[in-house]
Amino acid sequence: MGKQEAEGGCGVVGLACNVPLEGKYLLQSLVQMRNRGNGKGGGIAAVGLVPEQLGVSEKILKEDYILQVAYLNKSVRKQVEDEHVRPFFVVDYEARVNAVDDYRSIPGLEVEPPEVYRYSVRVKRDVLADFARKNGLEGLEENEVEDEFLYQNSYRLNQQYYSSLGEKKAFVVSHGKNMIVLKLVGFGDDVVRYYRLEDFKAHVWIGHHRYPTKGRVWHPGGAHPFVGLHEALVHNGDFANYHSIMEYLAQRNIHPLFLTDTEVSVLLFDLLSRVYKYPLEYLIEALAPTTERDFEMLSVEKKRIYRLIQSTHIHGSPDGPWFFIVARNDVEKNAWQLLGITDTSMLRPQVFALQEGPVKIGIIASERQAINAVLGKLQEDQKIPSRFADTYWNARGGSFTDGGAFLFTVKDGESGKVLECADKFGKSIELPAQDWLPQVGSSVSLNASIAIQLQRGPGARDPWGFYEYVRPALRDAGFQYVGEILEELKRLAMKGQESRQFAIKSLSLLYDRIYDTGRKKRSSLLQLYHEALNDVFSSISLSNYDLYTRLDWKNRSRLIHPGFDEQVLVVDALEFPAEGQESTARFVVDAYREGWKNILLYNLRGHRFIGSGLGARTNDLKIDCYGDVGDYVASGIDGCEITVHGAAQDQAAQILKYGKLVVHGDVGQAFMYAAKGGDVFVLGNAAGRPLINAVGRPRVVINGTCLDYLAESFMAGDPYNGGGFVVVNGLRPSFDGRFVEHEYPYPGSNLFSLASGGAIFIRDPYRKVSSEQLNGGRLADFTMKDWELIRPFLEENEKLFGISVKKDLLTVQERSLDPRQIYRKIEPITLQELA
Amino acid sequence: MGNLELIVEKHSERIHHGIEVLPSLRHGLPEGLGNKRWTAELILATYEMALTGDLPKNGLEYRTGNSGGGFDVLGWKNNGFARIDQESVDLSIPLNKREDGKKITIPLPIYGGGMSFGSISLNFMLARARAAKRLDTFMSTGEGGYPDEIVPYRDHVITQVATGMFGVREETIQYAPIVEFKYAQGAKPGLGGHLLADKVTSEVAKMRESSMFTSLYSPFPFHSVYSVEDHKKHVDWIKTVNPRALVSVKVSTPTDVDMVAIGSYYAGANIIHIDGGYGGTGAAPEIAKKNIAMPIEYAIPKVHDYLVSEGVRDDVVLIASGGIRTADDIAKAIALGADGCVVATAEAVAVGCTHCGNCERGRGCQVGITTTDPELSRFIDPEWGETRIVNLFTAWSKRLRSILAGFGLESVRDLRGRRDLLVRYK
Repeated sequence: MGKQEAEGGCGVVGLACNVPLEGKYLLQSLVQMRNRGNGKGGGIAAVGLVPEQLGVSEKILKEDYILQVAYLNKSVRKQVEDEHVRPFFVVDYEARVNAVDDYRSIPGLEVEPPEVYRYSVRVKRDVLADFARKNGLEGLEENEVEDEFLYQNSYRLNQQYYSSLGEKKAFVVSHGKNMIVLKLVGFGDDVVRYYRLEDFKAHVWIGHHRYPTKGRVWHPGGAHPFVGLHEALVHNGDFANYHSIMEYLAQRNIHPLFLTDTEVSVLLFDLLSRVYKYPLEYLIEALAPTTERDFEMLSVEKKRIYRLIQSTHIHGSPDGPWFFIVARNDVEKNAWQLLGITDTSMLRPQVFALQEGPVKIGIIASERQAINAVLGKLQEDQKIPSRFADTYWNARGGSFTDGGAFLFTVKDGESGKVLECADKFGKSIELPAQDWLPQVGSSVSLNASIAIQLQRGPGARDPWGFYEYVRPALRDAGFQYVGEILEELKRLAMKGQESRQFAIKSLSLLYDRIYDTGRKKRSSLLQLYHEALNDVFSSISLSNYDLYTRLDWKNRSRLIHPGFDEQVLVVDALEFPAEGQESTARFVVDAYREGWKNILLYNLRGHRFIGSGLGARTNDLKIDCYGDVGDYVASGIDGCEITVHGAAQDQAAQILKYGKLVVHGDVGQAFMYAAKGGDVFVLGNAAGRPLINAVGRPRVVINGTCLDYLAESFMAGDPYNGGGFVVVNGLRPSFDGRFVEHEYPYPGSNLFSLASGGAIFIRDPYRKVSSEQLNGGRLADFTMKDWELIRPFLEENEKLFGISVKKDLLTVQERSLDPRQIYRKIEPITLQELA
Repeated sequence: MGNLELIVEKHSERIHHGIEVLPSLRHGLPEGLGNKRWTAELILATYEMALTGDLPKNGLEYRTGNSGGGFDVLGWKNNGFARIDQESVDLSIPLNKREDGKKITIPLPIYGGGMSFGSISLNFMLARARAAKRLDTFMSTGEGGYPDEIVPYRDHVITQVATGMFGVREETIQYAPIVEFKYAQGAKPGLGGHLLADKVTSEVAKMRESSMFTSLYSPFPFHSVYSVEDHKKHVDWIKTVNPRALVSVKVSTPTDVDMVAIGSYYAGANIIHIDGGYGGTGAAPEIAKKNIAMPIEYAIPKVHDYLVSEGVRDDVVLIASGGIRTADDIAKAIALGADGCVVATAEAVAVGCTHCGNCERGRGCQVGITTTDPELSRFIDPEWGETRIVNLFTAWSKRLRSILAGFGLESVRDLRGRRDLLVRYK
């Protein structure tokens, strides 16, 4: 049977928390990812619910299945109940799921969402015994038989009222224990609004925007999430081997009814977990097999098992771009889980994050800005201390390092619920035991006012002097003291134009730099800096004579040419659209055409294409980005300088021609794709496929590492003669503010594959990079000529990020070494395929 | 006159004279010329039309080839007599049917397909650009960059953004009235672009900012586009760089080409350009040509019907390419459901291509079309090439008018989807 629904893209988000959180925290992230869907399908799942909200006892919530039936045709309800509910189930509770009175009151909702009824049910004992006997299931545990009954009953209902009809009348949205799914034709955030979930609480949430492209009539049945039994799955991607998987399932007597690859995915998941009872690690291996060098790097024992799994399930393993987020009730262990799995080639966007404070929260999303949207809303409501996670990361698909999957588990702890996070292999993500706001750690006592101290120190002119001066205090002092420093900076910002400049630069240094924060969580400090910066920016008024002048969405028509060259245009991006002719990116173009040479954007929240559209030769322009910059930042720039205060997202610096890009954080997928040049400095990691097809003269320093496929088909000429290169330092900031080595400076295969020009210089003092990681390139001697080539860039890198050439890069285990002992070079070889 | 000038003049004259004399059949049909799709007669007829701007008068078959399939087994219903005046027939088609964006109309349902600098010579590229300007239609850069020499013709040049993005810069996107995303080429779907080392001369390498005499492979996919929402983002990016540009999405013809088309439409495409498997120069691998993509005559009705059933057919322009050789092919493609066609090989034949199939080699093209060799590429004078291409399209227009008038159709737009006018030969 053919795939009936064509779709590829989607926006996905999932969160897990040790306390139940309201649906409204999903809203903003879904609103900010609307450009990943088209309003033709949205859905949510919630796992780990609150009994009072459902009107049931804790016992019923734990033991009963929550059967939710969506009635597209309201008149069939009695018939469905008489055929599929009443005869088989003890119904402990039933109700219509709360919804707004008139769906048309929600702008954009064109199709009436289904009326959903919720039944808390157990299978009648005699029915169950009869079912077990007839199907030869007597050997199974009773709960397993009951699960299977639920599953089959829902299947029959769907077959009868949904898939076999011209007119679709009803279907089971979800039937697992302690979990619900709701979906409709609209955006994901519409589901939260329509079903009044803003205040509905759950420990685990997932949300989804769909982008179906076929058909004029859409049904909520096609929207995500899809359910197996006790799990719900959302999916971003598209399988190339849908038919093969359908056959694999058919061989196991599983016949999908909704005919999308998402349904197929969750059926696979259910098969592997509920029928085959695979532990999660093996389940993930069956879906996203470990391949190539990553397979070779596994232990002998793992290789043996994985080989068996692969040979059994490889034709049921989805091929192509996909990313799954699964919300799951592990009934046996009474644990609620949120799982993200990427395909082996990491072809879809994915970011993971974790924050610990009064509550502990884990988030998975298509974009980092969506994660920060969730955290931002929680912080606003004072549920958590910071709008920044303690750590963000990407999974490396099908890898020996993390297995391409991370699992957040909410389970019972000694006092209440706890949240744990671990990768495919069970290795947990640990956060340091530091303090968060507003808890105060060790504190230095102050005798004089901070203002006096600062004046005695660097004065109000030199931000770098200020930064060095306060650095020890940032380590030793408490939040209170930091807060007082920030108050002083904010006060200075109001005093005059030059002191405002000093304040902004000083705050930016505090915000961007990596340093020892002592007992204090960096994420909590970032929150303080973020607030202080926003206060300073927001206090700037519209004036043509001041050094800083400010515009926002409402006042955008008041854009005029600058009063003088150095003048800085501060733009509050908050209400600008993320893309399109009215977007921030186009406003930047307009401002540049008006003559502005210094543009500062703040309150960015996923705004895309910043720096695009400026045209050729923009050498005189500087752009600073604060907030969450969106995809494609700095794409195509030709001369200007863009500084991203924080992380960038996917497709940054595509076809970058010339100019400078500084990113004080990570960059996402397909970084600098087909770039022609540019001096580019990245503090953190690049995700998958950086620098593919880059030509010309890009000179890039990546201080972290990359997932895979770095500089495939790199064609950047002769690096000694104006060509390009990439320096990978393989370092990461530790929680105590040092730069320490990643376990592998470059963990992937496919390094510099089929490259014909340029070079990779990789900091690899322990000689961990091996020729098996190359596909066409070769490891060559790193010479002093190479060092002279890259040194100026590393010195600039030191100025930008404070990563010392001497103390950080050329020092290994406290010994200072020659660059030739530390760096390695990978150069292209002439391949027959390319000659 | 220097030695090189003499050599160039000598060879050019012989080539030009040859292609002028051959269609007269004074020496009979040349043996070994052409193949079943591009028969010797069809090649000679094309030479003749490119010389005279008129249909061949000596009985040369100019309408169809002899492949035994495709357009060669489709013919026109016997329609009796001309019902309307040929001169009054309107051949123009719009390239933007959406409510927003610039309205562009081309006076004939044809524009030039993407052939990159590198795959072809600069002189041939210039000939195409000049012809596009004179005919008030377009030609596409292909993915080898945008040579400065064609900037003066930019109102008639489509900038192609293909998977290697060679030579794509903001200003080349900003020059363009139309930006063409090349996702795949029908002659070699799933293979990406490739330019073998031989042709990557210093000039070509400079334009693409790559290494000299090293083969250039464009990836098969865009690494930034693995789904429809990525594609939407890609389109949004181009529209940020050049808000005025119309967007064309060029795809090959897989079995789900209808899904691809509708997805492209919803992501904002003005033109959906489907490229079947018959096209490509001799540089495309033989194993791929005609063997992977769906034949264009199957793909056009599939996509057309689907867009109709989705209710969006009149909001998007459907362009077909991949082995469109003649005015009859164009009319047949339109009768099957396309709005218009893209041609490239026919333009090469207009300036002397013999279908020898040596296009991948640096000095393989003896007539100076698919070469970047500084000597060979001078065989085509841009002005001469321009005239030849304009003549060919002028002759085609006459044939198109005659077909339309024969059916009593006043506009080529009325031919779209008129499959009832076609017959299939057994």
